[in-house]
Amino acid sequence: MRILLIEPDKLLAQTYDQTLRQAGHTLSTVATAQRAIFAADEQKPDLVLLELQLVSHSGIEFLYEFRSYPDWQSIPVIILSHVPPGEFADSWDLLKQELGVVAYRYKPRTSLQALLRVVNEFATIAS
Amino acid sequence: MRASVLTQPVLSQQLLLSVAEELKVPLLQIARQAELAGLQANGAVSLQQIQTTADMALRLIDSYVLGARLALEDQYLFEMEPVSVSSVLYDAGQQLEAMAKLYGVELELNVSGKYGPVMAHRSGLQAALVSLGHALIEAMPAIGDAKHRPRLSLSAYRSRYGIVTGVYSEVEQLTTEALRQGKKINGQARQPLATLTHTAGAGIFVADTILQAMNSELTVSRHHKLYGLAAILKPNPQLQLI
Repeated sequence: MRILLIEPDKLLAQTYDQTLRQAGHTLSTVATAQRAIFAADEQKPDLVLLELQLVSHSGIEFLYEFRSYPDWQSIPVIILSHVPPGEFADSWDLLKQELGVVAYRYKPRTSLQALLRVVNEFATIAS
Repeated sequence: MRASVLTQPVLSQQLLLSVAEELKVPLLQIARQAELAGLQANGAVSLQQIQTTADMALRLIDSYVLGARLALEDQYLFEMEPVSVSSVLYDAGQQLEAMAKLYGVELELNVSGKYGPVMAHRSGLQAALVSLGHALIEAMPAIGDAKHRPRLSLSAYRSRYGIVTGVYSEVEQLTTEALRQGKKINGQARQPLATLTHTAGAGIFVADTILQAMNSELTVSRHHKLYGLAAILKPNPQLQLI
């Protein structure tokens, strides 16, 4: 599965990248929303893993931009963020229905194995 | 300047909140790196990397504690003395070296100018520069040009206001207005310095708190073609005469 990982912290990005590659996925890893749009255009991802706290443009801004392109409207997005999901409790419908977020994982509580499980679920559905 | 810190007791709570948020990052890095090491049969994750990450977290806590104690005017700790800026920058560079390597940032020292000692608290100045460097190293991979290796310079130069000492890069880090706004909303916003860093930016606020306790503060600075965050330090008048 081709995964676009948008992670601003270099060390965490390396760790997630390495883990997902070892599980057989193809990764494109970027640190900012702007670079993510270019990477999506090049890679044509099957799944996006997104941190909401990015530099300059937030993850939500990226989602609006990403979903504005017809080709990318059905690509599932998993949020993997430092922002506790409780802060988005009121906006969950918007994230799910309008921005195509299929899962929300809070980073401090998501082990690599838990991340692999959720990614592999979508890989199975996609195949 | 120190009096204003004391009249704002909420400041330390905001700073503590910011430090707590910031500490999630290295702790998460340690947890996931250790987990990855456990998952890998070949042990490709380096223990050195985990150690450096833990050291970064410890330094941030240490600097926060020092800043809080200086702000509370701990007389035993707070002794301004003539300090050689070059030597403090050199020591700060040494402390930041491992982290810079981990983040792929090239660190250089630029202390070529001629200037005498400044009046400062040596450990405080060093902690402020390390905290600042820490925050900027972490931020560089996202704000810099993805194609080139980011570079940070620990520099000092003489200006008409005093000796300007700070951390510089080829990329603009913050505008004066963004820094002012960031200080205002620190502790209330998740990313008070959103144009610079994806984190709470605690290293920058810790550096500012320490510098304020030394009658200085963190300012936006431009030197030659580089952009930086720096402190303006007063030269030691007595030693200038010698």
